[in-house]
Amino acid sequence: MASFEIGRVCMKIAGRETGKYCVVLKKVNDAFVEVTGPRMLTGVKRRRANVDHLEPLPFTVEIKEGSQDDEVLQALEKAGLITKFGLKRPSAAQVKTEKAKPPKEAKVEKPKEKKEEKETKDKKAKKK
Amino acid sequence: MRKMKRRVPGSRTKLVYKREKTGIHRCANCGRELHGMKKLTASQIRKLSKSERRPTRPYGGYLCGECTRELFKDRARKQFS
Repeated sequence: MASFEIGRVCMKIAGRETGKYCVVLKKVNDAFVEVTGPRMLTGVKRRRANVDHLEPLPFTVEIKEGSQDDEVLQALEKAGLITKFGLKRPSAAQVKTEKAKPPKEAKVEKPKEKKEEKETKDKKAKKK
Repeated sequence: MRKMKRRVPGSRTKLVYKREKTGIHRCANCGRELHGMKKLTASQIRKLSKSERRPTRPYGGYLCGECTRELFKDRARKQFS
């Protein structure tokens, strides 16, 4: 079974994006792996995917760990996988807008008060 | 809606309407019950939006989660073996 190293091309076999191709960017731990389509090419968002939901394909692509989508796109282009998979190349405009998008801030740990707020709400609900 | 005659006091028979039972959606491959499929009558389902009627996954509502996983795994392996 091919392993999930960086640059491994896989197919998602579970979830909304079943049947779509994606490239492994980073190994989060032995169960999770960071993956991107990239979105404009295959429709798979840059996200953390469970390894059981991925099927490794016998192709790899030379990319650095956690590289940007356009680098992944060029690497896929170089490896000739875009034609092999018969994917539609995103237009240059799409690539530009994708790049212009501000990167999402990492998930901020939810502050503690969130819990208290919830409790006070329940109390109020009970009072009504 | 099934129409049934029922005898009612005062030596009369009355027409009673019975709502039809909803079927359980089963996976076409392994026959297991499908998750995410609402058990409602057709008239109620018609009011729902498309994403409420079935899981938004290829073969959602037709094959169960596991069968789609197997299907796409074999497809990937055969295609690129």
